[in-house]
Formats: sequence, structure tokens, C-alpha cells
Amino acid sequence: MKARIVRRQDVLKIADLLRQQGYEVIAPFRGRGRDTFFDTVTDGNRDQIQIHLPNPYYPPKRYVFPQIEPLLKIERRNGDLQIAPIYDVRRRAIFGIRSCDVAGIYHLDRFYLGREYPDIYYQNHRKNLFLVNVACTDPELDIGEECFCMCTDTGPAARDHFDLQLFDLQQAGLGDEFMAVAGTPAGEALFASPIFGKGSPQHAARRRGILEQVRKLFKPSTTSWFSAAIQAVSRGEVTDETWEQIGNRCLECGGCTYVCPACTCFTVTDRPVEAGVERLRIWDSCALGGFTRMAGGFNPRRAVHDRRNRRFFRKLAHYFIQRELSMACVGCGRCAAVCHGDIGMPSVVEMIRHAALRGKEA
Amino acid sequence: MNPYAIEHEALMNHAPETVENVYLPKVAVLDRVVSEIHEVNTFYWHFEDSAEQYAFKRFRPGQFAQVSLFGVGEFPTSLPPSPTEDETFFTVRQVGSCTSALHRLKGGDKFAVRGPYGNGFPMEEYRGKNLVFVAGGIGLIPLRSAIVYALANRDHYGRIQIFHGAKTPNELMYVPMLHEWERTPGVECHMTVDRAAEGWTGNVGVVGSLFKKSEVEVPVENTIAFVCGPPIMFRFVIRDLLGMGFQEHNIVSTLERYMKCGVGKCGHCCIGVAYVCVDGPVFTYEQIKTLGEDI
Repeated sequence: MKARIVRRQDVLKIADLLRQQGYEVIAPFRGRGRDTFFDTVTDGNRDQIQIHLPNPYYPPKRYVFPQIEPLLKIERRNGDLQIAPIYDVRRRAIFGIRSCDVAGIYHLDRFYLGREYPDIYYQNHRKNLFLVNVACTDPELDIGEECFCMCTDTGPAARDHFDLQLFDLQQAGLGDEFMAVAGTPAGEALFASPIFGKGSPQHAARRRGILEQVRKLFKPSTTSWFSAAIQAVSRGEVTDETWEQIGNRCLECGGCTYVCPACTCFTVTDRPVEAGVERLRIWDSCALGGFTRMAGGFNPRRAVHDRRNRRFFRKLAHYFIQRELSMACVGCGRCAAVCHGDIGMPSVVEMIRHAALRGKEA
Repeated sequence: MNPYAIEHEALMNHAPETVENVYLPKVAVLDRVVSEIHEVNTFYWHFEDSAEQYAFKRFRPGQFAQVSLFGVGEFPTSLPPSPTEDETFFTVRQVGSCTSALHRLKGGDKFAVRGPYGNGFPMEEYRGKNLVFVAGGIGLIPLRSAIVYALANRDHYGRIQIFHGAKTPNELMYVPMLHEWERTPGVECHMTVDRAAEGWTGNVGVVGSLFKKSEVEVPVENTIAFVCGPPIMFRFVIRDLLGMGFQEHNIVSTLERYMKCGVGKCGHCCIGVAYVCVDGPVFTYEQIKTLGEDI
């Protein structure tokens, strides 16, 4: 992988370059307080793009898997049916995507493209997507209370699946440069711009040193015991009692699935539009009671804990990790931040581990 | 080797023409509607495009299709015809919004279908074996395909027994066909009802009671039992079959779940480690037991 050096005052010019190339550029911005969000870059807001900031709760997943996505347009003419697919082939670039969200998009790639029925809607978004990853190096802004990418091995600096990665080489107020690493030929093509300069072995050493320090900043309390939980779930060692304890704390709001960068479930619905019907797919959540309810009323997952069980089983069972060659949890910590009942992934992993340990001692 | 262990680059670079839009249904025309029992009709249909019809006809017994009623939605339904038959049709109970919309259609009306999906019954693998079909109520719909297929390939299979139970005589499925099967040499067809009505001279009792009748002798060795019906019937029939000495992997059934895509993406039908739409809907009892959810 090739690397170059960019000066701090030139970093946002990468977004300008991408806009000149015809990309709709998406970048993170700051609202009030902790509020941060991804939005389309315009001439008006370009200077407000944030390099370091708490990762927005609403993940950038929606640019490859929109919350509401039209699939088909159906028109009725004289008793005939005309069915036409609706494709979105906009070229988009996400500037400043975090490493965990890059891993989330990689998981979606494996899920939507790596199975017997590749999803053409997803592929249209994904093939037109350019990812500029920013490594999380700022102890105050980038690394949150709930972050646990150290456990899922997805951060703080992604190793793959980005087009370009930016790494802030500032340390203790010194250094005003970023290291840019190209992950794909498209990323490398950007290095033709004069804003990129040659790097030195000192820059590489500095990157390694910063990364080593940053890794120590993650809170040990959130260092959840993933491998232990995966073992317990995969072997079926988690008792119904433990699942019930987890389920009892679920308020069935669906928030965890809504903010998850690796959740994939959707429902399909038809809405009337002018001169016909539009078929849409919309995010769905296994936390909701109607998720498995069939016509006639039979619901195989009546109890709340059956549904919670599903989410964590889906994410932690070895079978699914092998099936997709990627785990459906990327350690972003969003579920932990939004859950009212404190059953985000780190808490659940901890509960499972405790229960498994108690089971072994008993 | 994991079949999904493809390089990420290869995944990303599927040439556009090789990726088919799996969500795009094809227009179908309803030919005629035949009433089966109360609220259950059989809908004969064909694709508007004859090439689609030809491609669709390669389905296997036990597979299913997604039926689109635009403006209402899409629902999965089993394929009761055998690929050896000429016509394509669905037998559907009016139970939710989509199935009700289908029931409102008349001959000549257009809707859309995509599929076939799912694994289906491994009928090739079952060659040389005895086949026992146990169907409760509308559970006969998904089994019909396998029965007709086996009868069309009669030489490939050993004994064929059909047990069909319903609540009342009026709720027996495919009655003309049942009578035909009763008359077919080499087929043992038995019917029962939970509650007899006037004129009913046959057996009264649950479907499992047929196994105990003196004139019935169910082969256990080298036999596959197909079981389909409501959850309570399923539990009791499984208990009876296991008691008779059937092995768990020789009992097969087909499951139904809420589904939106049919191609393993939407997540609704996932039970335990299986997506019913792509890994099923046909599972052996041995597999069903490990899925860990109500049937």
C-alpha cells in the first residue's frame, strides 16, 4: 500500500478533489453538544467538516443500504402491469468514515454480495462508493466511552477495505501532517494531486508510535470478552435463564438495530405513488414484536427474550461468522450508547460470560 | 472449503450483467379459480412471457414462490403442482391482506410471481425408498407436489402411503385427487376426520389413529415420512412415528415463516442457524429439533 503525507490545511482539499471528480461527498459534522451527523458536503458547509469528532450515532450504512429504498415502480395500464426496477447509481464518497464503520460496510459486502443471490441494489451503491477512512487517534474526541473496536479487531485504524486512510500524525501538540494510505488503485490515483507529498521513515515510525499509544486509551471496562461469549453462544451454553435476564431489560424500541452499522434486516412494502405503486424496502428490526408474526397471528418468537436472543445469537454464533467470513459486530459501541436497558453488546457479552463462568463453577 | 470464501475483490466486481435482480417479479395471468374448501382456493395461472414459464417449470417439489399483489405486498406460498404436471397453480388460504387480495382476483387479472426458491424435497435421493405422506388439513398443499411427482415416477419408489386428516369431511383437501389416489394401484390412501358429519363412513380420529388400524401396516425400514400440518398435529405425528421406530433423519417436513425476500437477505425467516428460505423450507426432524424454535 502506498502512503503520502498531507498538511493539515490541505486535508479538506481531498473532499474538494472528490467533489471535482463528480462524487457526492458525505462528511461528518458537529451539531450541538454530543450531536454529530453525516451530511452531504456543499460549498456552504465545506469548512465545517470535522476530522476528529465522536462517531455519529446514525451510521453511514444508509449510503449503501438506505433506510427507505425504492426497489420497483409498477404501473397499471389497461389491465396490463409494467414493472420496472429503480436503480440509484449515484457516485458517492464518504469522507471521514471511522474504521468500525468501514468494517460494517465490509460486513454488508459479505452479506449482500457474497451469497447465492447477490443484491443488485446494494451492489449499485457499493460499486459507486469511495471511502476515505480517518483513523481514531484523538483521545478526547474520537475514542468514546463505549468504543470496543479493540475487541472486534476493527480499529482504531482499519487495515483494509477503504480507498484512502488518513492518519493524524499530531502528537502532544506537535506535527501538522496526516499520513494518507491508499487502499485501492482509485485511492492511489488521488496522489497525483500536488497536496500529497512524499513521506519518510520518521513519518512511518511516528504513525506506529501513535497507534501503539492510542490502543492503550480504550477503557478496560469495555474490553468485553468476545471470544468467551462466542464460545458460550456457539456451544449452546447460554441458559434460557440468562437470555431471559437479557430479554427482561429490552424495551423493544429497536434502537440497537437502527444504529447498528452491521444489521441487515429489512421489510418490503408497497406505497401508492402517482400512476401506480412503488415497492420499497425499509429497515426492520428483530427487536420488534411483529418481526416474525405470520398472517393468521402465529408468532414463533412471542417472548421478548426470544427476540433478544435472536439478535445476539445472530451476531455472536460462530456459524454465522463462518457463513459470512465476517462478524456482524464491529465494536462501534452505538448499541451500548443508545440502549435504555443497558443491554448493548458489551453488557450482553459480560452477562453471558458471567453466566457461563457461574455454570462451570456450579 | 466454505463456498462463500470468495475474495472481497471478486465480490465487488461481479459484472453487472451477471447479477440478476432477485426482487423483480414477472407478470403472471390468472386463468381460473377453483374452490377447494372454505376460504381455500386453487389459482391456476401462467407467466405472460412463455420463456419465464419454461424457466419456472424447472422447480422441484417442496420449493416455494413469492406472489406479488401490487399495492398490497408480497407473500411466500408453496408450490402444490409437480413439475411433471402441465399447469402451474397455487392453493392459498385467505388469511392476511395479501392472500385476501389474491382471493379477490378474477380470471384474466394480472399479478406477479418470482421464484422458485428454497431447497425442496430431495426426491432423487429418495429413489428406491418407501414414501409415507402424513398431511393434516392444508398441510397437504406442499406435499401434493411430492406425491404427484412420486406417482409420475412410480418405478423409482417403493411403497407409497398417503394419510390425510382434517377437522371435518368438508375440510379434506383435494378431494377429487384423494379419490383418484384411492383407486390408483400401488398407492395406499387413508383419510380421517376429527368430527364426522352426516354421510361420512370413513375413520374418525386424529391422523395418527390411522397408523393403529388393523388394515394399515406402515413400513419403517427404508422409508421416508413426509409430515406437514398444524403445530399440534406435527408434534403428535412425530411422537407416533418415533414410537414406530422411524429415525429422526428419515422424517421430513416443510416449515413456514414470515418472509419478505425469499433469498436469504431480509432476515425474517431465520431460525437458529438456518434461513428457512434458502436452507429450507424442507428440513429433516433431526434438523428441526436443533433449530430451537416453535414450529
